Amino acid sequence: MMRRGPLVSVVDDDESIRESLPDLLRLLGFASAGFPSAEAFLASDLLGETSCLLLDVAMPGMSGPELQQELATRKDQIPIVFITAHGDHETRARLMALGAVECLAKPFSESALLDALNAALRTGGAQP
Amino acid sequence: MSDRPTDTREHNDRDAARGDDRDLAMEVLRENERNARLVVDSIPGLVALLTVDGQVYFANRRLLDFTGHSLDELQHWGTNGIVYPADLPHVVEVFSRSIAAGTSYDIVQRLRRADGHYRWFQNEGSPLRDPDGQIAGWCVLLTDIDDRKRAEDAIRASEGQLKQITDSIPALAWSALPDGSADFFSQHFLDFIGMTAEQASGWGWGAAVHADDALALTLIWQAIIASGEPGEAEARLRRHDGSFRWFLFRASPQRDETGAISKWFGVNTDIEDRKRAEQELRASELNLRRLTETIPAMLWSATPDGDIDYCNTRFLTYTGFSAGEVINDGWQRTIHPEDAARVGPIWLASVTRREPYRVEVRTYHAADQTYRWCTVSALPLLDEDGTILKWYGTIVDIHDWKVAQESLRRSQDFLTEAQRLSSTGSFSWTPSIFQATWSDEVYHIFGVEPGAPLTDALLDSRIHPEDAAMWAEAMSRARSGGGFSLDYRLLMPDNSVKYLHQTAHTTYDDAGRVEYIGAVQDVTARELSEQALDKIRSELAHVVRATSLSALTASIAHEVNQPLSGIMTNAATGLRMLDVTPPDLDGARETVRRTIRDANRASDVITHLRALFSRREFTVEPVDLNEAAREVVALSASDMQRHHITLQTNFALHLPPLPGDRIQLQQVILNLLRNAAEAMADVHDRPRRLLIRTERENDQWVRLSVRDTGTGFNPETIARLFGAFYTTKEGGMGIGLFVSRSIIERHQGRLWAEPNSDGPGSTFAFALPIAAGVLKDEGMTERTS
Repeated sequence: MMRRGPLVSVVDDDESIRESLPDLLRLLGFASAGFPSAEAFLASDLLGETSCLLLDVAMPGMSGPELQQELATRKDQIPIVFITAHGDHETRARLMALGAVECLAKPFSESALLDALNAALRTGGAQP
Repeated sequence: MSDRPTDTREHNDRDAARGDDRDLAMEVLRENERNARLVVDSIPGLVALLTVDGQVYFANRRLLDFTGHSLDELQHWGTNGIVYPADLPHVVEVFSRSIAAGTSYDIVQRLRRADGHYRWFQNEGSPLRDPDGQIAGWCVLLTDIDDRKRAEDAIRASEGQLKQITDSIPALAWSALPDGSADFFSQHFLDFIGMTAEQASGWGWGAAVHADDALALTLIWQAIIASGEPGEAEARLRRHDGSFRWFLFRASPQRDETGAISKWFGVNTDIEDRKRAEQELRASELNLRRLTETIPAMLWSATPDGDIDYCNTRFLTYTGFSAGEVINDGWQRTIHPEDAARVGPIWLASVTRREPYRVEVRTYHAADQTYRWCTVSALPLLDEDGTILKWYGTIVDIHDWKVAQESLRRSQDFLTEAQRLSSTGSFSWTPSIFQATWSDEVYHIFGVEPGAPLTDALLDSRIHPEDAAMWAEAMSRARSGGGFSLDYRLLMPDNSVKYLHQTAHTTYDDAGRVEYIGAVQDVTARELSEQALDKIRSELAHVVRATSLSALTASIAHEVNQPLSGIMTNAATGLRMLDVTPPDLDGARETVRRTIRDANRASDVITHLRALFSRREFTVEPVDLNEAAREVVALSASDMQRHHITLQTNFALHLPPLPGDRIQLQQVILNLLRNAAEAMADVHDRPRRLLIRTERENDQWVRLSVRDTGTGFNPETIARLFGAFYTTKEGGMGIGLFVSRSIIERHQGRLWAEPNSDGPGSTFAFALPIAAGVLKDEGMTERTS
């Protein structure tokens, strides 16, 4: 896939998300890659190129917030947008407090996604 | 005295014939004769002169005066009674013989005084010889010895009396010379040993002493003689018939004016009977000693003052002490020092008050070097006056008994305490004789003073009026035999109500009578709490539903939101693909396909949920437990992930289908998974692992268990774990387990929890019967949605 913009990586154990979201992101002008787990993402070459991370919260093994913590420990400043099927206010508030740019409740609209990505990329200084 | 007066005349005639020869000579002679007569008359004695042949020819004045007779009369002494008639034959005989033989004589005889009284005289006659040695005549001297003779006779009579007395004494009397040789034996003595006085005198009596006693007796007798003091000895004397009898020899010295021993006097007393009694006593003592040494008991005795003077061997063996160590007050060493200090004064008090003594002490037991409990008791032996002669005591080892008693007492204490703690009393009841025994706790339950008489009136006053009929009927049934179990109420005097549960089973007493042994338990607290529980159970039902719904809603949201998310994203992607020029139709078609797929997925979730919650009645159908569990696992998977829990399954193959309500069982499984997940919420130092396993317990049961690695629970709280309000979680209500258990029990199964034995966490499990009979018909009609 040709890279036309900042790389937005998607980490989600749900396959349906992994196959649909990157397609949409590419149509929106981003480069995109999907990972089934936090561990797979951390092991990937694309870690350093990722400008924004769309991160599922609840996953087997390392969870979304744990990956967030791990990246913070590595001084990696990748802006993170959480996506969760348990979209309650409490979860959102907690993740935002820990430094997430946004927390999107599944299902989310294209515009909500774009707003979040824009906010994230502004934070990270990159533009699509 | 001459009895032939003619003798004296013949003598005178002869003298006269010689005087005729010479006148001068005759004159001189007459003068001499006159002088001689004067002399003879002056002699203080009676004198007579006799002729050669014994005729009296001269008697001095004293003789004439004494007898009051003339010389002529004196010449007829043989016939005129001058000589005492009884003495006359003897006098005549001796006198005649003497005259004939020409030898002097000496006779003691009585002469009649002038006043007619006879007096004793010594009559001495001697021949008078001429220068040629021829007998010329006789001179007779009569000496008055009456006073002396009477004194002698008196003495002789007295001696005779003494001898008579001596001989009549039933003792063997004797006397001996200072050197110890015997000089007198009473007749009794001589008769006894069958000897004459001559045989016995000196040392002859020694032949009658028993050979075994002779040496000892001799030595003692010598010692007594040497000491000069009274003494005694014991020896056997042979009786005349050859038998021996024991005698006590007693000797006392008699001393003269100078203090020298003049004689020994002795008495031998027959002590055969005493001796025999002594021997019998000794034999009996020996017997007694054998008895005390053989009897299987520890015995002792003490003096009236309380000093131990005897302990039998059994006691010494038991304690390992010697007799010397124990006597007097040494016994205190044989018992525990604490006890010695305690009972010492008690013993002294018993001795002082002359009261029976009985204490329990720890006595040293040499065999195992420990102290063992013993009862020590003693009684005083009193004489007729009530004086203590001796104390006799026993020591009995009661250790095993005491230990058993202590253990019994403790177990009784335990039982009493257990009865009190569990509000359970025990009783026995023998209906045929109207006899009942209650434990203290039964009295307590009935609110009656322990020991109070158990009357029908008492029971009637306590049995709740509404239960009285039932009670009476149960009792009447019980009288006819068979165990019984009864729940009834008491109405106490303060109007409070007690709920009792009573059970009893039948036994038979020694007399073969039916006897009930039973327990009665005060279940008031349980009953009241169950009533309260029943009341709130219905109230809780909707809370349960609400709580479950909340959790389920989250799960449903998650399950539905995932496909919805895919649908929205794919739809947005599709729109974008159609909006570009030229439209990416292939891509759009793909997104539409994915949209349909995700929509179906969402629909499946809804269908599944409807299947899960649409059931409203408790319906029994064959349930594949593995399948049911799998569905729940699928439903919970996201929840588990969200809690970072690794969920493993281990399902047994070929499980038989179980009769049950699938939805309700799934609700239980879901609840167990949720609990396990929550139990691990605070675990950060180890993997959160959850294993759900199905297995066949045996032919009758299938088990499903959920094992977590959570914080677990305190074993003591297991019982409360299933209470309606119990929870290990802050803020939770923990109602799930309570409901779950209800469901499992309605499937005739069981649900339990246990801590993991090989690691942290706990395991909750339920087991269901493979071929359940009829499930409880009350059914579960609660709605789950």
